[in-house]
Amino acid sequence: MSRYFAALTGPNEIGHSSAFWASFLLVLFGFAAYPAFATEFQSSNVAYYLLNIPLALGLCLLWGYGGILSFGQVAYFGISAYVYGIIAGNMMGNSWGPLIGSIGGLLASAIVAAVFGYFIFYARVQNWIVPILTLVLTLLLETFLGQTAGYQWRVGVVQLGGYNGMTGIPSFQLGDLVFFGYSFYYYVLVVVVLTYFACRMLVNSNIGRVLLAIREDPLRTELLGYDIRARQWSIFVLASVLAGISGILYVQWGNYITPTQVGLAQASLPVIWVAVGGRDSLLAVAISTYALNWLTYTLSSAGYQSALVIIGFLLIIVMLFFPRGIIVTIARAAFWRRIAERV
Amino acid sequence: MTDEITRKESPTTESKHATSSALETDRRTLLKGAAAAGGLIAGFTGPVYLRDFNYTQSVRAQTSEPVKIGFIEDESGNLAVYGIQKLHAAQLAIKEINEGKTLKGAPNIGAGFHASSGEIANTPPVISKEGSNLDIVGDPGERHQSELLYEEVSDILVDSNDRGILGREVRLVSADGQSNNTVWQQLARRMIQQDKVDVLVAGFASAEREAIRPIVDQAKQLYFYTNQYEGGVADANTFCTGPVCEQQVIPTVQYMVEKFGPRCYTIAADYNFGQLTAAWTKAFIPLVGGEIVGEEFIPLSVSEFSQVIQRIQAAKPDWVMTLLVGSNHHNYYPQAAAAGLRLPMASTVNMAQGYEHKRFPAPSLANMHNAIQYQMEVPTARNRAFVKRWMEMFPEDQYIGEMAQNTYFTIHLYAKAARLAGTTDQETVKKALELGWNIEAPEGSVFLEPGTHHCAHPIRLAVCDENHDVSFVRDWPVVQAWWLQRLGVNLIRHPEYKQYTPAEDPYFNMFVKT
Amino acid sequence: MEGVAVLFSVVYQLATNASFLLLAGLGLIVILGMMNIINLAHGELMMLGAYTATILYHRGVPFPLTVVAAFVVVALAGAVLERLIVRRFYGERLGALVVTWGISLVLSQGTLMLLGPFMPSIPIPSGSVSIGQYSFSVYWLILTAVTALLIVALGLLYNWTTIGLYARATMQKPDIARALGVNTDRIYLLTFSLGAGLAGLSGALLAPTVSIAPFMGQQFIAPAFITVVVGGATNVIAGALGASALLSFVKTPVGFLLGAFLGNVALLFAALIIIRLMPDGISATFQRWQDRRSRLA
Repeated sequence: MSRYFAALTGPNEIGHSSAFWASFLLVLFGFAAYPAFATEFQSSNVAYYLLNIPLALGLCLLWGYGGILSFGQVAYFGISAYVYGIIAGNMMGNSWGPLIGSIGGLLASAIVAAVFGYFIFYARVQNWIVPILTLVLTLLLETFLGQTAGYQWRVGVVQLGGYNGMTGIPSFQLGDLVFFGYSFYYYVLVVVVLTYFACRMLVNSNIGRVLLAIREDPLRTELLGYDIRARQWSIFVLASVLAGISGILYVQWGNYITPTQVGLAQASLPVIWVAVGGRDSLLAVAISTYALNWLTYTLSSAGYQSALVIIGFLLIIVMLFFPRGIIVTIARAAFWRRIAERV
Repeated sequence: MTDEITRKESPTTESKHATSSALETDRRTLLKGAAAAGGLIAGFTGPVYLRDFNYTQSVRAQTSEPVKIGFIEDESGNLAVYGIQKLHAAQLAIKEINEGKTLKGAPNIGAGFHASSGEIANTPPVISKEGSNLDIVGDPGERHQSELLYEEVSDILVDSNDRGILGREVRLVSADGQSNNTVWQQLARRMIQQDKVDVLVAGFASAEREAIRPIVDQAKQLYFYTNQYEGGVADANTFCTGPVCEQQVIPTVQYMVEKFGPRCYTIAADYNFGQLTAAWTKAFIPLVGGEIVGEEFIPLSVSEFSQVIQRIQAAKPDWVMTLLVGSNHHNYYPQAAAAGLRLPMASTVNMAQGYEHKRFPAPSLANMHNAIQYQMEVPTARNRAFVKRWMEMFPEDQYIGEMAQNTYFTIHLYAKAARLAGTTDQETVKKALELGWNIEAPEGSVFLEPGTHHCAHPIRLAVCDENHDVSFVRDWPVVQAWWLQRLGVNLIRHPEYKQYTPAEDPYFNMFVKT
Repeated sequence: MEGVAVLFSVVYQLATNASFLLLAGLGLIVILGMMNIINLAHGELMMLGAYTATILYHRGVPFPLTVVAAFVVVALAGAVLERLIVRRFYGERLGALVVTWGISLVLSQGTLMLLGPFMPSIPIPSGSVSIGQYSFSVYWLILTAVTALLIVALGLLYNWTTIGLYARATMQKPDIARALGVNTDRIYLLTFSLGAGLAGLSGALLAPTVSIAPFMGQQFIAPAFITVVVGGATNVIAGALGASALLSFVKTPVGFLLGAFLGNVALLFAALIIIRLMPDGISATFQRWQDRRSRLA
């Protein structure tokens, strides 16, 4: 048992003490018990805040641990969502359609990321060109999807729908169990927690250590014998699969996807979530993603159109005063250590 | 090169050298930043909780349950110029309903025409026959040549003998979609699952309607979509009261071909509305003797049209069909005017929705034609009375667009259907609506067709001149929304929940010459 | 006559596309090309310039004056941004990128909240001229000339004036420039202000041709970055000139024959290919070719 715990702990992620794990499990229990006190509507909202976490985790791995900023993670979010919609939509009567669709969606994202990543990393472009290239390609994808309104843009019986979007996407089901409402909430919770643990194990493993080494000094790492291009490429593909998980969960939540989900405004959100939380730490990113999504929705549904202005200001404040992210700064502040020493 | 960059960016190298003095400064900046961020968030979210708290309190204090009309429109963001008009329309309609007023109309009266409300002529003319002529001998009034029994209704607002709906106050539960599809979905869920509204009136763009239609169908929520759109929605829970392609494209094309010539060049926004309307234009122009000499789809982000203008000039059309949407596309008109392109233009969206003829400097929209079912400038007595009532309630408003007028009469229609049904239970009201209704709206007589859940409208051709004054040069008294009927849609016999596209209609492209 | 008209039409289209790219990238040439700050708020700076010009125009100020005013106003705004925010991110490219993204969000959303989603635009001045069956907008002809003048002026400023010398010194070797007595802080401030002011100027010049909305900046970001990145940092001005010409040669025929969307796609693909082949931009490759030639000679 302690061997598995060892895989989860390490210097590359915040929180090692037993106090931390106790509070973590407490929070997890709180989430699990939430539907007992909440309406279906409130649970579906919380599910929405949770399902964006894998997208942010992917960017955190890529940017925080790998040093590569990609503005185009939402492109993989969208690709997975659309491919899931196409496959599951065409297998409407089949109860295993959504599962096959999910696998297909993730594969599609991975393949696109593999091809695109090849061109970026094996060409050794300068680091700062990557965000611009990924942003431009995301915009291209949005424009392309937006003009698929004509009825010739269909795969099987599923219309791509242009700016109207793809509607009527089936919810997730395994056999006869359809995940909707409360069951969907639990499904999202399980997927997100498992994803987080998997990422946590990754960063504390050898792969994670080499990744950090590449971020610190690529030349030195390469001289030590590691093929940095292959490693950067593989983390890029992994981040795209994580973005794809969020995309598939999103369409299983809303049964609907539009090209605006891969647009300019959406592309900036993961960067903001990761920057505000602290790109050093997966847990910080998870917390900030949840909090910022909650904040945005609360403001929008109360009629404030200032949600994006606040997010913009928050980003500026964080970059000026908390360059390592709010949560990471709090977590790594020295007074925790002093408390731990005293306890 | 890359080393320098990454070394400067890496945050962890700093942490290894953290000393207590570095921590001192860290704490100061930390406090500064925390104060800034905290103040920002508290300042904005504090009032949120207070507002929500007050709202729930006041709802619980009600003695009788109000009838809740759920309303989602874009009051901010790019589509705000349309959304705010619809909000005002809803507010005006609800005020009138609560004051005990309603629009004239009843179920099962036939497709709207002048006589649909059955006005009785005061003094019918006397006809005498001399030889083969029918001469009108008596002098009964102004227009006695063809509309023998017609009398223009001077006001359509009458007493409803009810306060609110069935004695219950009508309350508008409105939310701002902020031109953001995810917010729309969340708001729709909130209205349906939490606020439990009795009817939902929402949506300007087709994308917004399609975002919430799955949620509407899951909950079997009664839903009105009050905008003009590309047509095809066959959904047992949805009633579309705006005009559709066959009611606007075909009259426009017919008029333009007759007046200016058969050669048409289409430029359309490269998204659903533009592509589908262009497909309709292409399918029907050969039936009136015209032809498409060029067709171009322009991405929504493009605002620079010099190449497009050159291509139009090279093709030498008689008139141009401009199906442009969005603030970037509006630049086409001044650029075309500046480049000296003076061809007549036709559209199905301009003027009646975004009042471009008031917002753009003259003469950008000169020679623009549009077959509309409603525009604020419609000169009938009933419309003048309606505009007067509107401007009394909203003196700052610049325009009343077609979707605002549609929202207005739709809410009155819902009130009438609920009164007939005797309840606001949604399934019963849907059945009441499916009787088929005539309603006297400011635009004229509108008929809600039972099987297709769409409306037949009176259509007029509006022309904008160089001074951006509008005149109406032709009218079609009633145009039905016949396309869904041709597709065999009967939502009463066979409930459906989809949107049809022209691809599913075997007759659509039958006579197109490609 | 027909042939002349067609020829002029082709040249006109090439020139207007190239001018659009250059104007969009003008401010970014200075900020990205010379200061190495990835300014994602570039589009919003252009938007501020367009709004300034439009608001002043609707109060009766003649159009050329509004353009000058836009330059001044946005340059001041740029100075404020530089002092408060941007200066902490010199040397940190990704940090600058993220913080300028935050600035762009605040600027565009703030404009939406304060001024609403639409504003009546400035009518295009100067009418049109026709040759054969084609008619051309005189304003675009003027814009092309103005763009050329601006580029020449920028080049003169940087290569022939003392301030330009100090600026180049600061960009290349800041420590040594400081040791020689150049006030590098002020140079940074002036350069960023100049870049912002130029962005505002371009925004104002392009204002009559686009609609005035808070998100109008977004349409300029992609062309601006592509032009500057393809041009390269070695010789920013010449690079941008070359890049805009090259990209216009790709975009114009594709756009004319296949439509606006494919024209933009062709532009992006051309940019991707050029970056793949010449990662440091056209000007670097040109410089290397020149060095090799001078060495061989």
